[in-house]
Amino acid sequence: MSDPVLVVNGVTVYREAYAAVQNVSFTVPAGMDTAIVGPNGAGKSTLIQAILGILPRRSGDVFVLGQPLSPSGKLSPAVRQQIAYLPQNFLFDRRIPITVREFVGLGWDRLGLQLPWTGGKARRQAVQQALTQVDAWHLHQQPVSALSGGELKRILLAYCLVRPRRLLVLDEAPAGLDVRSESEFYRLLHQLKKDQGWAILQVSHDLDMVRRSCDRVLCINRTLLCQGTPDHSLTPENLSLAYGPEFVRYRHSC
Amino acid sequence: MAIQAEFTRVIDLLQLPFMHRALMGSVLTGFMGGLMGSFTILRQLSFFSDALGESALLGIGVGVLLGLDPSWVILPFAVLFALGVAYFLERTHLWTDALLNIVCSSSLAIGIILLSFRDDYKGGITHLLFGDILAMRTTDLVFSGMMLVACVIFIGLTLRSQILLTLHESMAIARGVSVSTQRTAFIVLLSLVVGISIKAIGVLLISAFVVIPACAARLLSRTFVQYILISAGLGALSAVIGMIVSAVFDLPSGPSIVTAQLAIFLLAMLAPNRRKLAL
Repeated sequence: MSDPVLVVNGVTVYREAYAAVQNVSFTVPAGMDTAIVGPNGAGKSTLIQAILGILPRRSGDVFVLGQPLSPSGKLSPAVRQQIAYLPQNFLFDRRIPITVREFVGLGWDRLGLQLPWTGGKARRQAVQQALTQVDAWHLHQQPVSALSGGELKRILLAYCLVRPRRLLVLDEAPAGLDVRSESEFYRLLHQLKKDQGWAILQVSHDLDMVRRSCDRVLCINRTLLCQGTPDHSLTPENLSLAYGPEFVRYRHSC
Repeated sequence: MAIQAEFTRVIDLLQLPFMHRALMGSVLTGFMGGLMGSFTILRQLSFFSDALGESALLGIGVGVLLGLDPSWVILPFAVLFALGVAYFLERTHLWTDALLNIVCSSSLAIGIILLSFRDDYKGGITHLLFGDILAMRTTDLVFSGMMLVACVIFIGLTLRSQILLTLHESMAIARGVSVSTQRTAFIVLLSLVVGISIKAIGVLLISAFVVIPACAARLLSRTFVQYILISAGLGALSAVIGMIVSAVFDLPSGPSIVTAQLAIFLLAMLAPNRRKLAL
C-alpha cells in the first residue's frame, strides 16, 4: 500500500478561548475519498483549515505528502502545488474584474516570485484542457461574477484540475446548489477523482452521498468519535453520538 | 491671433525646465497612483491614502520640532504608519475604515498640537495641504522614478499571488501565499508612494490619484490584467491632460489633474461600450 497523502496526529485547535478541535488523529490514503461528518459547530471546517495552515493549531502534527506542516502553517511550495482547496461558499467581491480563464490560470501558477508572463503557452493550454474537461471552455471569456452557481462549481473544479494534484480538500463544496446541480457536481467530481487519482478530504452534510460514494468517514464533534468505512462508521450508535439521539430518530422516520 | 499668441505662450511655458520636471513628476505620480490604486480599491483600502495624507501632519510636526526637513521625515513616518495600521488591523479585527479613522484623527490632532509650538510653520502647512508640483526638484523626480520601478517590480513579480489574495484569502493561504508578508509589503509600498507624492499633490488631494483612475479603469475593463494596465495608464494620462489644462488656463496644477481624473471617470461611466459590472 502506498504512503498516506495526509497524516494528522493529535491536532488541537483553539478558537478564541475554547478548543474547537481536540486531539484528532487520522490518515488519508492515496486515491481515497474521505468524508468528515458531524453537526454544525463540530469543528469540521476548523480542522480542515488547520490542516492547510489557514488557522494555527495549538498542538499536534500534520504531514502532507510526507512533508511536515510547520506550526506557523508553512509547507514546501512543491507540496502546496499538489493540494487544491475549495472553501465553503466561494464568496468573493463580485466587483473584482476577473474572467474564468484568468481565475483557472491562478490554479496553474506556482505563486512565488515570477515574471507575469512565465509559462505563457503551457499555462494557456492547461487552462483550455481543464475547462474542456469540465465542459466549460465556452465560458472562458466570461467574468466569474456572471456565472451561475453550477457553472461556478465547475470552474472551481477546473481550478483544481489545471495542474496534477494529489490531494483535494473540499469544505462543503456543493453548498448553495439545488439538488440537480449538486448531483451533477458530485458526478463530475467522482469521475475526475477516478481519472486523476486524487485523494479527497471533504466536509459533507450529505450522509447519503457519503454512504454511496466515499471510501472512508470521520465522525467529528470537536473530538474524533469514529472512523472507518461508511458501513462501519455511519451506524445509528455513532450518529447518535455525533448528532444526538433526536437526529437518528428523525432519519429513521424519513 | 489671440489663439496663436496663447498657443505660443503655452509652448514656451512647457519648454521651461521646471515645467518639464512638473510634467514628468505628475506622470510618474499618476502612473504609480493608478498602479497601486488598482489593488487598493479592490481591497477596500481607499481611505488608507487619505488617512495617511492627513496623518502626515504628525510626521511633519515631529520633523519641524526636531529641526529636520519635513519632506525627509514623511517617508519613515509613512512606513511606521503603514506598519502600525497593519498591526492594529491584525490584532483588533476591527473594521478597516473605523481603525483608519482613529489613527488618522489622532495623528492629525497630535500633529496640529506639535505644530502649534512653532508659529513660523504656518506657510508650511498650506504647502503641505495643497502641494506644489511646479516646485519639484530633480531629486524628487529621481525618488519618484525609483518608487515607480519598485512598484512595477513588486506588482509584476507577485501579480498572481496579489490577484488570488485579493480574490480569496483562504485559497491564497492554502496555495502557500504568505498573506501577512504580502499585505504588509503592499501597504508599506502604498505608504511610500503616498509619502513621496504628498509634496507635489498635497495631503488633501493625494487619495484622488489612488482612487479615481482605478475606479474609471474598473468601468472599462473585463480582465484583471487589463484593469491594472488601464488604471496605471489613466493615472498618467490624466496627469498630462491636467498639466496642459493648468498651463493653458493658468490654474493650480494638482486640482487640474484631479479634475481631469474626474472627467475621465465620468466619460468611462458614459462610454457606450463600457463593461458593465456583472453583479
